[in-house]
Amino acid sequence: MRQSWQEILAVAQRILIELGRRKRSLIFWIIFPISVLLLNGFIFADRSGLAISEAMEYAAPSSLVGAALFFSCLGGSVATVVSEREQHTLKRLFISPLRGTSYFLGIFLAHAVIGIGQSLVVYAIASFFGAKFQGSILLGILIIFLSIISYVGVGFLIGTQLARRTEDVNALVATFGVPLLILGGAFFPASIFPKTLLAIAQYNPIYHMNQALTGVWAEGDDIDALGSHFKFLIIFTVLMILSGWFSYQQMLNKERRL
Amino acid sequence: MLTINDLSKSYGDHAVPLRDRLILDNLNLTINAGEVYGLLGPNGAGKTTVINLICNLLKPDSGIIKINQKSLSQTTKSWLGVAPQENLLYKTLTCQENLDFYGKIYGLKSSERKTRIELCLQAVNLLDRAKSPVEILSGGMQRRLNIAVAIIHQPKLLILDEPTTGLDIEARYDIWQLIQNLQQQGITILLTTHLLDEAQRLCQKIGILKKGKLLAEGSLDELQQLIPAQEVLTIKTPEENKALERAKNLGLIHRRYGGDLCFWLPEPLELRQVLDLFQGIVIDSIARQPVQLEHIYLEVTQEKFISH
Repeated sequence: MRQSWQEILAVAQRILIELGRRKRSLIFWIIFPISVLLLNGFIFADRSGLAISEAMEYAAPSSLVGAALFFSCLGGSVATVVSEREQHTLKRLFISPLRGTSYFLGIFLAHAVIGIGQSLVVYAIASFFGAKFQGSILLGILIIFLSIISYVGVGFLIGTQLARRTEDVNALVATFGVPLLILGGAFFPASIFPKTLLAIAQYNPIYHMNQALTGVWAEGDDIDALGSHFKFLIIFTVLMILSGWFSYQQMLNKERRL
Repeated sequence: MLTINDLSKSYGDHAVPLRDRLILDNLNLTINAGEVYGLLGPNGAGKTTVINLICNLLKPDSGIIKINQKSLSQTTKSWLGVAPQENLLYKTLTCQENLDFYGKIYGLKSSERKTRIELCLQAVNLLDRAKSPVEILSGGMQRRLNIAVAIIHQPKLLILDEPTTGLDIEARYDIWQLIQNLQQQGITILLTTHLLDEAQRLCQKIGILKKGKLLAEGSLDELQQLIPAQEVLTIKTPEENKALERAKNLGLIHRRYGGDLCFWLPEPLELRQVLDLFQGIVIDSIARQPVQLEHIYLEVTQEKFISH
């Protein structure tokens, strides 16, 4: 158990050190959610006639789970797996006693730290404009964690099955990601979607993450009021853990040789 | 330390006959504790497959591999240190951070890790570059760090897969010195290479592998018994046919090594005796040398030898 924990920490720490070394990337990861939040907040305030503090309460969840975590956790975990493959460092990990579970959890932990950092930045800025948490902080944190796990799971799936090189990452994230983000209400509130799009959005995990977090932190909903959004998120998270794990095993079988 | 018994491995489409896809064919090999064992062979001989099997990355079709009398398992993984052909390092991390990461993966505790990192950096002569990112190191330094990573957890068996390929001569000497130092520290080493002078210089025991078969094995002295010569005579002459005819009459075996005409001498001769052998034939140059590993290798890897 102690060894597994040490392995998880080692993987997470390495990813974070590598990110820390790329200072420019780190700065962009901070600027990105702030700019999305400000744009969403000001547009929402202007079009809805709400006070800026209230508009920020609605803009913060979608900016966080719909945009920031998507790119950092999903895009980041795809990039982690692909760059390990490109540098061939995965091979060295295969010959080491590192367990697959520790590797997966290490990547999750690193991205959870990044996600928490982004959450703090987004909510610090939103608070600066007077936004307040209307509902349970713990429930909101749980939704953020479920979102991070889902994104890392999808990232593993894409990184191990579809993206062979770093250049593939952008193409894949743009092709699959951007439509899902728009349909998830990251850039326009789902309330303005036409009925057909709204029906399609019911199958989009980002829509449920967004609705769940908005419900809790902007509208003060409890777990019962979240209903289908929370259930969808739990089921999706479990599925992504399983498929991420399965994809990793498949990659192990395919690539484990020097 | 390492024993391999009747190891066979094949790849590919089962519709293809087994003999055509057999990468290793009943390989038997033993490496004793503390020795450097050189596994030689041309590209595609099966050297890297042997390493993959020892590392438990591939499953053999048949045969047994044991390290210290134990079958391969999660435990034996931590007994192995492997420095693959490529430098498998995290380029943005420093030397120290790379070693620290692998130290954690191999379960070293914090204080032990600190000591080991220092010792390993010292061993590969990179102590002054501990805080340098890998990406700014030269190829030779990266290769040394690649070896340092392989020994961070004090493995019982160190596998070096072509450790000097692509390095300049100075960097190569550094690696050779490092290998000798590691052996003095009691580490058993399996070295794969296609550089024969490297094997001759470093290895106590040598195995020659081709097309999945171990064609010969032993110390350099033992391998030298495989060809009936003590010296090889290389001559340059415009009258090759005459020289060949003379050699035939004298019962000397001849070979061509890279276009050079060579004769095997069953026993060392004085220069005057050598010149007497070819009296009356125009000789441009003449050179004698003891039988080298390359002569044995070329002889052993001939097709006729493989078919035996």
